[in-house]
Amino acid sequence: MNYNNLVLGIIFIPVIGALCLPLAGRVSSRLRNILSFLFILSSFILSLKLIPLVLTGKTILISQPFALGLNFTLLADNLAVFMTCVSSLISAVIVLFSFGYVSHYDNQNEYYCMVTLFLGAMMGLVFSANLILMYVFWEITAITSWRLIGFFRDKAYVLKADKAFLVTVFGSLIMLIGFISIFQQTGSFDLPLIKEAYKAQLIPNLIVGLILVGILSKSATLPFQTWLPDAGVAPSPVTALLHAAVLVKIGVYVFARIFIVNITPDILWHTIVPLIAGISAIVAAGAALIETDLKRIIAYSTISQIGFIFFGLSIGNSIAILGALLYILMHGLAKAGLFLCAGIIEQNTKTKDITKLGGLISTMPFTGVAFLACALSVMGIPPFGGFFSKYLVFSGALAEGRLWIVLIYLICAFMTIIYLFRVFNLIFLGKINIEAKEGSSIMVGSVVGLAVLSLAAGILIYYPYKFAQVATWQMLGALK
Amino acid sequence: MIPNPLLLTIIIPLLSGILIFCVPKKLEGARSGLLVLANLAGLILAIILFKQSFTYTLPGIAPGLELSFRLYQFSAFMLLATSLFGVLIALYSVVFMQGKKLVSQFYAYFLFSIALTNGAFLADNLLVLLFFWEGLLVLLFGMIAIGNKDAFKTATKAFIIVGVTDLCMMLGIALTGHLAGTLVISKISLTLSPLANLAFILLMIGAISKAGAMPFHSWIPDAAIDSPLPFMSLIPAALEKLLGIYFLARISLDLFRLTVNSGLSTLLMIVGGATIILAVMMALIQKDYKRLLSYHAISQAGYMILGIGTAVPIGIIGGLFHMINHALYKSCLFLTSGAVEKQAGTTNLEKLGGLARKMPITFICFVVTACAISGVWPFNGFFSKELVYDGALERGWIFYFVAVAGSFFTAASFLKLGHAAFIGKISSENGKVKEAHISMLIPMIAIALICTFFGVFNQWPLNNLIQPILGAERLEGHNFSGFPTNTMLVIITFVVLILAILNHLYGLKKKGSGLHALDHIRYFPVVSNIYDLAEKGFFDPYNWGLGLVNVISRISFGVDKGINWVYDSLSPKLAYGFSSGIRKLHTGNYSVYLAWAIVGMLVIFGLLLR
Repeated sequence: MNYNNLVLGIIFIPVIGALCLPLAGRVSSRLRNILSFLFILSSFILSLKLIPLVLTGKTILISQPFALGLNFTLLADNLAVFMTCVSSLISAVIVLFSFGYVSHYDNQNEYYCMVTLFLGAMMGLVFSANLILMYVFWEITAITSWRLIGFFRDKAYVLKADKAFLVTVFGSLIMLIGFISIFQQTGSFDLPLIKEAYKAQLIPNLIVGLILVGILSKSATLPFQTWLPDAGVAPSPVTALLHAAVLVKIGVYVFARIFIVNITPDILWHTIVPLIAGISAIVAAGAALIETDLKRIIAYSTISQIGFIFFGLSIGNSIAILGALLYILMHGLAKAGLFLCAGIIEQNTKTKDITKLGGLISTMPFTGVAFLACALSVMGIPPFGGFFSKYLVFSGALAEGRLWIVLIYLICAFMTIIYLFRVFNLIFLGKINIEAKEGSSIMVGSVVGLAVLSLAAGILIYYPYKFAQVATWQMLGALK
Repeated sequence: MIPNPLLLTIIIPLLSGILIFCVPKKLEGARSGLLVLANLAGLILAIILFKQSFTYTLPGIAPGLELSFRLYQFSAFMLLATSLFGVLIALYSVVFMQGKKLVSQFYAYFLFSIALTNGAFLADNLLVLLFFWEGLLVLLFGMIAIGNKDAFKTATKAFIIVGVTDLCMMLGIALTGHLAGTLVISKISLTLSPLANLAFILLMIGAISKAGAMPFHSWIPDAAIDSPLPFMSLIPAALEKLLGIYFLARISLDLFRLTVNSGLSTLLMIVGGATIILAVMMALIQKDYKRLLSYHAISQAGYMILGIGTAVPIGIIGGLFHMINHALYKSCLFLTSGAVEKQAGTTNLEKLGGLARKMPITFICFVVTACAISGVWPFNGFFSKELVYDGALERGWIFYFVAVAGSFFTAASFLKLGHAAFIGKISSENGKVKEAHISMLIPMIAIALICTFFGVFNQWPLNNLIQPILGAERLEGHNFSGFPTNTMLVIITFVVLILAILNHLYGLKKKGSGLHALDHIRYFPVVSNIYDLAEKGFFDPYNWGLGLVNVISRISFGVDKGINWVYDSLSPKLAYGFSSGIRKLHTGNYSVYLAWAIVGMLVIFGLLLR
């Protein structure tokens, strides 16, 4: 089989397919929904097919020269395939959930189109080995998420969507300046060539800083974090998709792609990035404890957990990077589950204020248990998957002797336990304040599925561990 | 294919637990039978495995992280103890839980707990150990939460406290792995250094929190009220003590070799001593059977930690012997409280009284185990306490003093408890109380007998179970079985016990009731103020911790809102301000525009001609 076609298929089946969805929606809404799911599922299945190849250490490079250095260069290595597998799997579950969730609302054609296009752009971004190509896909995700956040067309909601768009685009424009500066220095936007060029010289700190602004703004890290909780006005599957599983991981991924795989920045950044991420993690965890809006809490929790991923990546040894990659997987699964549970709760009780809820475990047992399972995974409690990723990140950091920074994250991990339990208790235990039914079977099925996946990822840690380990070796150039 | 017997000890309870979920609600007999049989199977397995030693490694759980188990003297003993408690408490629960809600959940969690505990004892890899150890957390939450209506609050408290300490332990394990270069427990032997000290302290936090020592204790008294009683008897009284002290012993004997002069040894003794005295002082003033017992469960953990912390052979042997003794008598004491609760409908001491005549067997079991916990000869508690005293005295008279003072208060509070519940007038509500069901009595009698046996024939457990753990080399030729050699200490112990009785008689004479026999201590000047504060939760470290977290959160929230203000208010204001300023310049007046153009041109020329 031609592997190049697989890579192209992963990107362009959802991208082109997305554009057909509004047409399909005119024929039948059911057809449109199923097509949307199939497009995303095909990305996932094709990604799976790439695994055997990349595990042997081979990579796929597709290059189509173009004027002005804007080459169409795609690279599929372990890291990229890991990322596409994770994001397409989670997106597929989220789309399944959407069947139940958005069925009551207007603009469904646009919704499915944007979700699918978003996933396609994400796939493109992951495989991009050219900075400008990466930037283009990056902005497509920004535009689609802008439409998706403003899905409910209220004035206030649209403003929040604008905010998310403005902050992330502000960041990405600054990042673009960084990219162009790299071009000035190395004469290329292609990452393999840039890698060669920076072997001889150190990349200037200014450029690293510029690119980092883009990365931090996309991954909602301090001081660019506030758009993320505000974006909680979006429909729940959207928040799950954007905040938990996919969008916020873009920044993390690009950090790994540029600053671990290709360019080694100054040693200084090994301290600055963990520190920024650590402060961000603490601030967000604290805010999550005070906040009373369910989706905002989970969004803050995302900011906090993203801090852990940055921490692992920026420590830069093989254990920590391995932990961070597993963290991307475990957090994605569990956090998507939490957001989707929040969606069920919000839709059935008509409120997002956790202080007004209570006792729902008796009427929504499946959602409750799924929520708890996902929360336990985020906390890092065995046998759930989050345990291993948290342990590995800590372990890697200690191997580098970063004791003091580790303590910041330890406090953060304490607070994670506390705020998630606060949410769980207020919603599911105690006195019933608002009566509510369990969600529709497809919605409950999706959240239970994510909870089971979180559990399976812990018990069957062997498989993700092995994959992530090979990816780490390849990232660090230790794999032949 | 039959899995390795070590795996069986984990798989049997795990599968039986899952099976219990599948049994329909109507077949209560089947569920109960499954619970007892699964535990019985575990006990048989543990007996077969006892005295054997081998390792077993399951290949390929994760590359570089193998699932390795090791059966040897210590873990085989622990396995045996766990399964013994499993069988007895299962037998008890079957009757106790009759007619209660969520029984199958309780049974399943019961079995899962046994499975994970066995896994933690057998694990020969720190990460595997942590996996089982932390997994218990979820079950802890589940088992407490199915208690009464507000139990989930206590469950959350327990989860947060133990979860936080487990995270410390996770960090400790990562650090140990880094220092030792391996996670295989039997290969680690670290010498103390500043970083190793930190690792030890982090691991120690995990261990003593499991054992329920201060300052990680405060969920236990709450759980005593809220959770189903067999839980108290199984988890905080037995399994968690075994786990916590087992791990503490492993880290201070094997992973790190704790030496007599190290600061860590002193630290452990301070923690142990403080736990003994502070918890027993709280036990004195309790007015509820179960809550009183739970404070003793905390206090007794102090003796074990003190014993191991002394780092001298006699103290360590004493601490380990006390671990198994405590697990025995404390779980039996909890079982008697359950019998009283089931038969009399309450454990509130003000409503109880005179039950000795109605429930004679329960009363005898209570007396035996209460004597054991108070350190009365010839029961098991006497012998282990004497060993701990001896070790403590070797390290400093203050530790010895605290330990003996602890004994005084222990005896005093058990005199009060026994008097209030079993002797005295029968309250009108308790008129029709009958002796408990036979299936609840058997476990109590069995444990009471073992307590006596371990006392009278203490040579057997010490020579066969406890002393081999330390090994001949480290015992330096000593044998600590038999009657204590230090006669002076024995005399002091007897004097202290007699003083406790005199104190009780004094209080009785003053107040005229067993329940209030300790009121002269409770309302002693100054002490009474401290007690008042303690009863309000002022000294609860959990509340302090939450308070601190709350402060951090408020600051964080402020920072977050501050940053948000920059985006939501400041930047739009700046943008509007800037554009409205610019707009004012556009007056529509041609001459002004012309002037701008000229100035602009001049600037450009100026730059070009420079």
